Order: sequence, then structure tokens, then C-alpha cells
Amino acid sequence: MLSLNYLRIVCSSRALLHPNWLMTRRQCVYEAFTCSAHCMSTCFPKKDTWHSNTNLRKERKLIYYTGRVSSPRNYCTGRVKVSCWNCKQPLDKTPAFFCMSCKVVQPPDDGTSYFKIMDCDCTFTLDTQKLQKRYLQLQRSLHPDNFSRKSVREQEYSEIQSALVNKAYTTLLKPLSRGLYMLELKGMHIEEGTDSGADSEFLMELMEINEALDEAQTPEEANKIGRDTKGKLTDLTKEIDDALLKGELQTAKALLAQMKYYANIEEKVKEKLSEFM
Amino acid sequence: MVLLLKCLSPLGFITRRLSAPEFITQCCYHKKVVDHYENPRNVGTLDKQSKNVGTGLVGAPACGDVMKLQIEVDDQGKIVDARFKTFGCGSAIASSSLATEWVKGKSVDEALMIKNTDIAKELCLPPVKLHCSMLAEDAIKAALADYRLKQQDDQQEAVRASN
Repeated sequence: MLSLNYLRIVCSSRALLHPNWLMTRRQCVYEAFTCSAHCMSTCFPKKDTWHSNTNLRKERKLIYYTGRVSSPRNYCTGRVKVSCWNCKQPLDKTPAFFCMSCKVVQPPDDGTSYFKIMDCDCTFTLDTQKLQKRYLQLQRSLHPDNFSRKSVREQEYSEIQSALVNKAYTTLLKPLSRGLYMLELKGMHIEEGTDSGADSEFLMELMEINEALDEAQTPEEANKIGRDTKGKLTDLTKEIDDALLKGELQTAKALLAQMKYYANIEEKVKEKLSEFM
Repeated sequence: MVLLLKCLSPLGFITRRLSAPEFITQCCYHKKVVDHYENPRNVGTLDKQSKNVGTGLVGAPACGDVMKLQIEVDDQGKIVDARFKTFGCGSAIASSSLATEWVKGKSVDEALMIKNTDIAKELCLPPVKLHCSMLAEDAIKAALADYRLKQQDDQQEAVRASN
């Protein structure tokens, strides 16, 4: 079906990471929904809509969107108002994990950033303890194990929500992935391939650290390199925080690239130390 | 994990590095990549200060790989030796190892023709690892550029000395 393929393009997982992207393409999403609604009503009898969709297991996100077509949506020039798929009451909170009226689990809302999901401010400095508490609190209510006796649709939604919360938590936990995600929210990525603007002195220094680690004969030598690397990472974290607060995205991008190199060295230190055991 | 072991059992070895996440997501490195990883050709260093040695140092910020490739060129402009040192994934190591094999015996101009697509094809690199072959091509070009620069400096010095 052409419209389903259209949905597939629009509703790829990347869309969830790019709220800006989705916002500019809301018109397309609307068209896709109405096209799909027409197809749904002509191709499937209403009561079987959900079960037919579960056959499309390959595209999980696709299931979510085609399922929601049957729930009423108000399209206005402002925010899209979402209603509960079960009792049709409006969902006021964002993100709404459960309906306030009937308490049933909801599918994730499009374009909600990981920061909103984990109830954190969109800043580089983050209270990781608070993040962890929120993660545990969410998983206590959303984990699929709690839905083993519920309907298939609720089980599907809890799986999607639980996986999303996992992704949000792991992304925001480490400074590197957090910083890269913040850049993504602003539409920036670190390109694959060679860094043509890289400082050759910096690369030389990295080479020397890597070589020293490779040739380390004792755990003490490896630990020393580990401590120096940790120090560099702490400094970089401060600089990235400054750059992001000032909105200097290019600077932040370059610093995050440096952080990636040092994060790799940190991983290699751990591997080296385990070899000594 | 079971699928991983099944892939590797004919080869008979599993090192710690090969259980890195990128290995698992890919399911299996091609046996050519594993061969270069386990038996890398031309690992080492050449004298950076020598006028006949060109050094290329490149980095890939997305994955944090660092690659150094050095070439030694004789007076006829033919590459007689090459060495590399790469810190990164198996595909990056294999790409640079293969690159040093290929440049040996080639002239400076012939070495410039080596494309990342040839390296990727030879090693059967999956799409997600194509950037590793790109890194190797850039390393070769950087080494050749460094050598050319040294030769130019040399010639300019000779001109100044004769005046």
C-alpha cells in the first residue's frame, strides 16, 4: 500500500530523535494519517484493525502509528491535542505514559525529547542520581512484566515505552552521548569519515597516548594513563557545558569529537587492566 | 552470543577485542578482515625525520579511530616500504594493513589512484564500515602529500644553496 510505505518513511525511528524534523513535516504526517485512515476503513473491518496491524510486526513504529489512526485527533494550528486510545479523554500531560481517567498505558508521543521523558532540564550538566531515580520509577510502572495479563495492545505499548525509556536513560547518562544528543536536537551531527580540520598535533598526542597504553607493562602504567585521560575528560565536560550554554554549537561539536577519542582511550585502559588480571 | 561463536568456531580464536559491541552488531567480520587483524602486515614506524619518508596522520571523530600511515620512497619515486599504526576497530586496522600492502612497489602517482571502494571491496566491508576504508585512503593521501611537501622544501633549499 502506497500510503503505508509513505508512513514508513515518515515514521522511521529517526523521527523520534528529531522533534524539529517532525514539526516541519507535520503536514505530511497529517496527510499520511488521513490517507491511511481511508485505507484502513476500506481494507479492514473496524474491529479487526488492531489485530491486522499486529501482522506488520517488522515495523514496530508503523504499528504504533496505524493503530493510532482510529483514535480521534484534533488538528489545529497550535499543538496537536492527543486523546486516550481507550476512553477518548484528552491527555493533558506531556509525556503522558498513562491516561489520567482510565489509567491505561499510552503509546509514546511523537517528538518528545529524552530530556522531557526523564523529566530533566535540557542542559549538559545533569543530576545523574535524579536521572536514575526517574528511570527506576518509570520502569516500575512501564515494564512489560507488569502487563502480562493485559491486552495485546497494552503489552505492545508498554514494550515500546519501556524500550524508549531505556534508550533515553542510556543516552542521557553519559556526558558524551548526552552532548551528541543535544547537538542532534539542534540538527547537528558529527559526520562519518576523516576529520579534515583536525589539529595534527592533537592527533599526534592521541597516537602517543595509545602507543604508551599498548606498550604498558604494568597495571600502574595503565592506571596512570587512565587517570590522565579521566582528567582530560573532566576538563572537556566543563568546556562543552560552557559552549552549549553559550549556544556555540560548532565549538561544542569539535569538543565532543575530542571527547570521543579520549572516551575510546578510557575503554582501552579498562581492557588493558583486565588483561593484567 | 551463540551465533557469534558459530561464526568464529572454524577460525578457532576469539580475542577480547573481537567481542566489542561493533563486532556483535555486525554478527561477523569477514575472514579477510580477521586475517589482517590477527596477522597485520607492516605494523611499525619509519623515521619521521627522513626526507624520503612521508607520514599521514588521520582521525575519524565519529568513531574515535586514529590512523598513522608512513611511506618510504626511493630516488626513482617508487614506494619501497610502508608502515602503519591504527587504533580503532578491526575494519580500520584491516583497511590500513591492506593499504600498506598495496602501496609497496607503486610509484607516488600510482598510489594516489588507490580508492577506498577498492579497499572496501577487497575486504568485503559492510556499509556501516565503509568509512574505515575512506580513512585508509585519506591516510595514504596524507602520507603522499607530506612526502611531496618535504621534496619541495628540499628542492627550494637546494636552489637557495646554489645561489
